[in-house]
Amino acid sequence: MLRQTPPTFHFHKVGDWQWVTDHRGYFWTLSRTHLYIALVAVLIGFLVALPLGVLAVRVPRTNPPILAVTTILYALPSLAVFAFLVGITGLTNNTVILPLAAYALAILVRSVTNGLNNVAEEVRISATAMGYGPLRRLVSVELPAAVPVIIAGLRVTTVASISLVTVGSLIGIGGLGQLFIAGENTDFITEILAGVVIVAFWAFLLDGLLLLSGRLLAPWARVSS
Amino acid sequence: MILAANTSASGILSYLTTASNWDGSAGFLHRLLQHLGYSAETVLVSAVIALPLGLVTGHTGRGGTVVSMLSNASRALPTLGLLILFAILIGVGIEAAIIPLVFLAISSILVNTNVGVRNVDPSLVDAAKGMGLTPFQVLWHVEIPVALPLIVLGLRTAAIQVVSTATIAADVGLGGLGRYIIDGQASRNFAELGAGAVIVALFAIITEALFLLGQRLLVSPGIRLRARTA
Amino acid sequence: MITFDHVSKRYDDGTLAVDDLSLECATGEITVLVGSSGCGKTTSLRMINRLVEPTSGTVSIDGTDVRSSDPARLRRMIGYVIQQGGLFPHRTVIENIATVPRLLGTPRPQARQRAQELMDLVGLPSSMAKRYPYQLSGGQQQRVGVARALAADPPLLLMDEPFSAVDPVVRKELQQELLNLQSQLGKTIVFVTHDIDEAVRLGDRIAVMQVGGKLVQFDTPERVLARPANAFVESFLGLDRGIKWLSFFPAKELPLRLPATIGPASGPVDVHRVAAAAASEWVLAVDGDRRPLGWLEAAALNGASSGTVDLGSLRSIGHAFSPATDSLRAALDALVLSPAGLAVGVDSGGALVGVANQDDINNAIQTAAADS
Repeated sequence: MLRQTPPTFHFHKVGDWQWVTDHRGYFWTLSRTHLYIALVAVLIGFLVALPLGVLAVRVPRTNPPILAVTTILYALPSLAVFAFLVGITGLTNNTVILPLAAYALAILVRSVTNGLNNVAEEVRISATAMGYGPLRRLVSVELPAAVPVIIAGLRVTTVASISLVTVGSLIGIGGLGQLFIAGENTDFITEILAGVVIVAFWAFLLDGLLLLSGRLLAPWARVSS
Repeated sequence: MILAANTSASGILSYLTTASNWDGSAGFLHRLLQHLGYSAETVLVSAVIALPLGLVTGHTGRGGTVVSMLSNASRALPTLGLLILFAILIGVGIEAAIIPLVFLAISSILVNTNVGVRNVDPSLVDAAKGMGLTPFQVLWHVEIPVALPLIVLGLRTAAIQVVSTATIAADVGLGGLGRYIIDGQASRNFAELGAGAVIVALFAIITEALFLLGQRLLVSPGIRLRARTA
Repeated sequence: MITFDHVSKRYDDGTLAVDDLSLECATGEITVLVGSSGCGKTTSLRMINRLVEPTSGTVSIDGTDVRSSDPARLRRMIGYVIQQGGLFPHRTVIENIATVPRLLGTPRPQARQRAQELMDLVGLPSSMAKRYPYQLSGGQQQRVGVARALAADPPLLLMDEPFSAVDPVVRKELQQELLNLQSQLGKTIVFVTHDIDEAVRLGDRIAVMQVGGKLVQFDTPERVLARPANAFVESFLGLDRGIKWLSFFPAKELPLRLPATIGPASGPVDVHRVAAAAASEWVLAVDGDRRPLGWLEAAALNGASSGTVDLGSLRSIGHAFSPATDSLRAALDALVLSPAGLAVGVDSGGALVGVANQDDINNAIQTAAADS
């Protein structure tokens, strides 16, 4: 816990490069946990969002309830949900993974429905006219056409997820957020800065990888995030 | 486990319905107002920064790189880290909470405003110019009303993120509804923790509902209902 | 009068959109700029209201260079209609129409009053005033677009492919209504289209433009059809250029003759008698009001000899033409479709006036061509 009076500011502590190089292994350990939590959450969210999004588009009646539920999920404050889940899942990675998966789901359902709705009516009709059944049309025409929008959603989700894992450290769950808590307790700015930079680094890196894979998967389209 | 969940649910309820928990500087009322204050001020400051920037870049079609860089950075930098950093650098105060939260909120407002205005049908802009609307009138009478659903969506998303994330301000001693969660967590008082979580969630959902209502009132039926029939 | 004086437009990427265009669009006339896509016709139009600035040369309205006016103020004095109307989706029909008067400071009640009048003028029922654009058909949207452009009663009207997105039947209807409107209002209209038939139908003068932004011919539609300036114009006019051209010559000069006719309740005997008397193989059956019913071929009736003629054996006349109001084009078309090789002329009540054969029509065409 922080003191209420502004602490004395130790400038030499900002750029303690020696400390940073000494702790490379520690950063790597924290990063692995961090990315595991963030990416598993996105993966689960995506795997649930895909069928839900298809359902919402295919059966228009299901669209409003699906959007309502995911919108409410998105509105739940992460810290509150983490703290709440501790009582059920304990101090495990799952406590952070589940809520983050729900956020990913909320964003990705919208991406999937928007992407599928983006498929031009002429394309849908000509695919049907060429003899595609509903499932084959979905797999080989509609989903590929939705790829750029879905990738854009995945980029937003992944970056947000990587950033949000840090909040888990407030309830004592690992990842790079540990650097913030430790730095806060010892007023050690280098450690906090290192945490911010490493989190941002992973976020940018994965964002870039997704951008690149989007261009490889759907070279015909560019969608800005 | 079910028994535990039950007792904690009734514990939360009794915590919430205990009158003394609502009064004073540690009471719900005070902390709710604190939370509302941080959140409202953050959304306001973010809107003042991001709306004009999004409108201008969307209208001119320039500055796309700046918009995507700013919004990427805004999403990638962890709010908790920034919060702790600012609390140490500038001291515990409302600014230490608001600066990181503003940074978080800018992204959705900026991107949605920019995309909304940029994607307004060019033939509408052409018709408006051809009829003698000045560039400002084109923005005010055509681009903003047509982009309004996205602009409000951006503000709504930002508001939700801020209300949710403002809970972590409690970590650096800045109060708000996050206090119950942090304190409850520290003292293993699950009734207090749960009560805090429920109130924040309700607050966020009410915020969401208010913005949806605002969207209904602000967006022209010509656009709202067109989207539904399309 | 709108004057283009040696106007060129070169875009930043080097493409020459308009190449040394000199043109005068006369006051109170419809000038149509026509050509295939990329010929610079839209660019030329947009230089009049300064949506595009020329690289060189000047565009002037009644002798005043358009660049001497503030663009927004200039545009409020010039009506502008584009494809699909460019209607504002967030405003009702009446609000859309009232846009420019409101910009010009007309108080809301007066602007709405004016918008109501315009809805009448373009044939929109006032029940549509509170609808939004998405609730209108393409043709209705286009009418709103025209009404909106006329709202401030501008002397000039620029129309950029306004009717391209509607179906041919509605398009024809809108074209006719534009001509009716123009006969009441007498605006100076510049109209862009890629449809040569639309250009011929609407234009007092048409300017044919070629890819590269060159004006190749500027003349009345009749003279463009009769004497295309070069091979490009000729191919642009298409293989029915001669037929289109005939629409400029009235059929009333055409000499008509009376065909062999039979009335109601006639029998095959009558047909043979009338046919023999007229030395004609074909006999026109008419009803009690002398309206043509169809052709009968005498030779085909050999089998039967008693009773009345079976109406089922009548051959359709194709269509009749009206010598008083139609053109030689309609007469020729009637001839082509007639099994008897005779174009049937009728009066406004549909009663037979007379028929013309191929030689008659040929002679009329020769005379018309010689006179033009």
